[in-house]
Amino acid sequence: MTRARWTLALALASAVFFTAPLAGRPQPPTRPIVGNPAANNPHLGNAESIRSGMTLYRTRCADCHGMDATGYRGPDLAALMATDVADERLFQTIRKGVPGTEMPASDDPDDDLLQIIAYLRKLGAPPPAERASGNVENGQRLFAAQCVSCHRVAGKGGRLGPDLSRVGISRSRASLVREIRSPGEFVPPSFETVTLVTKDGQRVRGAKKNEDVFSIQVMDTRERIQGYLKSNLQEVVYEKGSLMPAFAQGRLNDNDLNDLVGYLTTLRGADLQVR
Amino acid sequence: MRAFLKLVGVVVAAASIGAQTQTPGPQITNQDILDGLKDPSRWLTYGGDYNGTRHSPLTQLTPENVGQLTPQWTFQTAVTGSFQTTPVVVDGVIYATGWNNNAWAIDARSGRTIWRYRRNLPDDMRLCCGTVNRGFGVLGDRLYMTTADAHLLALDMKTGTIVYDVELADYKIGYSATVAPLVVKDKVIVGVAGAEYGIRGFIDAYDAQSGKRAWRFFTVASPDDKVGGHTWPKDNDAYKRGGGSIWVTGTYDPQQNLVFWGTGNPGPDYYSNAREGDNLYTASLVALDVDTGNLKWHYQFTPHDVHDWDSTQVPILADLNINGQARKTVLFANRNGFFYTIDRTTGKVIIARPFVETTWAKEIGSDGRPVLLPGNLPDEDGAKTCPDLGGGTNFFSPSYDPSLRLFFVTARETCANYFAYDQKFVVGEQYTGGATSRPRDQKNWGALRAIDPVTHERKWEFRYPSVSSSGVLTTASGLVFASDGDGNIMAFDSRTGKNLWHYQLGAQMRSTAGTTYMLDGRQYLLVPAGSALTAFALPARQ
Repeated sequence: MTRARWTLALALASAVFFTAPLAGRPQPPTRPIVGNPAANNPHLGNAESIRSGMTLYRTRCADCHGMDATGYRGPDLAALMATDVADERLFQTIRKGVPGTEMPASDDPDDDLLQIIAYLRKLGAPPPAERASGNVENGQRLFAAQCVSCHRVAGKGGRLGPDLSRVGISRSRASLVREIRSPGEFVPPSFETVTLVTKDGQRVRGAKKNEDVFSIQVMDTRERIQGYLKSNLQEVVYEKGSLMPAFAQGRLNDNDLNDLVGYLTTLRGADLQVR
Repeated sequence: MRAFLKLVGVVVAAASIGAQTQTPGPQITNQDILDGLKDPSRWLTYGGDYNGTRHSPLTQLTPENVGQLTPQWTFQTAVTGSFQTTPVVVDGVIYATGWNNNAWAIDARSGRTIWRYRRNLPDDMRLCCGTVNRGFGVLGDRLYMTTADAHLLALDMKTGTIVYDVELADYKIGYSATVAPLVVKDKVIVGVAGAEYGIRGFIDAYDAQSGKRAWRFFTVASPDDKVGGHTWPKDNDAYKRGGGSIWVTGTYDPQQNLVFWGTGNPGPDYYSNAREGDNLYTASLVALDVDTGNLKWHYQFTPHDVHDWDSTQVPILADLNINGQARKTVLFANRNGFFYTIDRTTGKVIIARPFVETTWAKEIGSDGRPVLLPGNLPDEDGAKTCPDLGGGTNFFSPSYDPSLRLFFVTARETCANYFAYDQKFVVGEQYTGGATSRPRDQKNWGALRAIDPVTHERKWEFRYPSVSSSGVLTTASGLVFASDGDGNIMAFDSRTGKNLWHYQLGAQMRSTAGTTYMLDGRQYLLVPAGSALTAFALPARQ
C-alpha cells in the first residue's frame, strides 16, 4: 500500500539530497535527536545492511551526491568519508539537513539512515581528496569582477542567482567547474529562466520563483520580485538555459577557473549574528 | 383495572413523546443511503451514492453563474496535517474526520464547531503516510470511522462520544486503518492498511448495531485456498505479509448484493523473489457478497505487481450501452496507468486502454492480462518505468456524469527509477524491498481528463504545470470541480473543459474532492484543503 507516497518536497526531488521518497510522508517537524543512534550502528560491516544502504543511498542521495558518491551537485561524500568525520556527525547532518543549502532534514527511520552510513563506510578509501587549490585571492578578485552582481556572499552582492555564502560545503569541486562552464546543464528550482510578454508587448526576463495555472512569480533581472496574472500576459516563454552566462575558455581560462573554484571552496558560511 | 390501563397508556404515551423529544432530527436509514443524493441537503457516503460517481443532481450552480462563486466561511482544524476526508452532511451539519483521528461536527451555515472528538492515539504506531483519515460512514444516529491504530469506532452523531470501539488488528505489528467505512444494510464494511509493514490485508464487515464482526475476506489468499492459493509460494509464508491493503471506500450494487473493493499492492513492494506468482488478490478488484463476504469474482489489474501500484481507486458503477447492449459495468482508472471498463456481473474486461504514458505494458490482452514490456523490473541499479509509484492516478476520487457519458479523472504524467533489494522481514518494521527516485531531468505534470468509458476516447483535457492529487466532483448542470497541484480549486464546463472559475485555497487538495449540498435554498460547494474546509456559494440574495 503506499497510499500516497507523496511528499511535499516532490517538486524538489531532483534537487535535494534526501527527499524521503520512500513514503511521501507529509513532512512533519524535524525530530529532536535524543542520543545518537550512530554511536552504536549495528549495520556497520553487515553485508545485507550495506546492500540495503546502497539502494537507499541511490534513491535518496545519489541525485545530488552522485551514484558513486563522489559528488555531483552536492559534495563528494567519498572524500568526506576519508576524513575523520564521525558517524554521529553524519547521522546528525542527514537528520537535520544543512541550513542554507539544498540538503533538507530527513524524517526517515533511524535504521534507514544507519544503513546509508554503513554503505558509505564500505565505499573504501576514495581517491585523493580534492583540496582547495589555485590562487584564492585571485579567485576572490575574479568573483568580485564577474560574479558578485548576481551572487551574494556574506550579505553582499546580487540576488538574481543563488546565495553562495555556503557553496563550499554544498558543492563538489567538479560540480562548481561544471556549473561555471555550463550553467544551463542544471538550473535549480526557483532560478529557471522565463520571459514574460505583457499585453502591451513589454518583455520581463527573470528567474521563476513559483507558478500555477493562473499566475507566475518572478525576480526580474533588476531584482524586482513580482507576481503576474497570466490573463494579463500575452505569453510566457520558458527558456531552457540559465540566466547565468556560460564562462567558457575564452571568457575564463583554466587558471582563472581554478583560482575562482579555489575561492568558492573557502565559502563555508558567514557569521551574520549581531552582537 | 381499566383506570390502571389508562394510566399506563398515558405513561407510555408520555415516554414515547419524551423519547421523540430526546432524539429529534434525522435517523439515517438504509433507504436514505440507497437514495444517494436524492435529498439535496445530504451527502451520506464517500462517493455521494453507492455507485461512487461523485456526481450531484444539483443545478443551482451553472456554467453561466459559477464565476460568481464566493467563499462563505472557512473552518480551520488547528491541527497539523492535511484533510483527506469526504465530509458527511446531514440536516445542516457537517461531519468531518481529520489528522490524528480528530473529528468534528460543524455548523454548515457558519463553519462553527458543534462538537469535537479526538482519539488518544498510541505513539508507537507504524504508519507509512501519516495519521490521515478519509471520512465517516453513517447509519441511524451513529457515525462510523476507522482509526490509525486499526480500530473501528461508532460515535454518537449528536455528541461525538464513543458508542463502541472494535479492534480490527494489532497496530503494533503494522496494521492501521484510514478508510471511510461503507455502510450497507445492517453492516459497516472497512479494511486495514499497512502493506509497507508486512501485513496480510483484509476486508471486514461488522454489525452496525452491536459492533460484532460478521465476516472477513482476506485480500491475500492462503496457499491452501482453492481459489487464488496457487498464486502464492507453497514453500514459504510470504502470504502472511503479502500486503493487499484497503484504504479507499468501495461501492455497492444492490441488485447483485455485491460490494466492490480495490485492493492494495503485494508486499514487499519492489523486491518480489519471495512471492513468486500473481499474488492474488492484491492489486485487484474484488466483488463480495454483502451478507457473507464470499468472493463472487475478482479481476487482477497488475499480476505480481513490483511498482507499488495499489488498486485502491474508487470503482465507479455505471450502466452503459455498449454495441447496442445494456451492460452493467465498473469503471476503474488504475494507478498502473490503464483505464478499465469491466463487466460487473462477471469481472471480465470489456475495454482497457492507457490514459497516461505507460511503459511497462504494451496493452491489456484479450485474456485480461497485461502484455508486459521488457526492462521494467526494479533492480539494484534502478529501472525507469512510467508511471511513477504515485501512478497514472491514485486514490483521489474520479467522477462520472451518466448524462454526458463522461468519466473525469486527475491524471499524472510521471516516471520513476525503481530500485529493489532483498530485505529481511522484521515484524513491525518497514518492509518494502526497495525505493524509487525521480529520473534526472524528469518533468512531471498533471491534467484533468474527460474520457468516454465506452470508447476510451479522450474528449478533452486541462493541463496542470505540476502533478495534482485532487479528486473530482461533477454536477448535473454541466460543471466539473477539481484542483491542480498548486492549491487552485477550479470549475470547468463538463462538455468542453473550459475553465470557468478558480480560487486559490492556500493549500493543495491532497487526495480530497469537493462535495455539494443545498442549505436554506442555496447550493454550497464544500472543499477540504490543507487543514481547512471552505464553503462556497453564490452571493445571497438581498
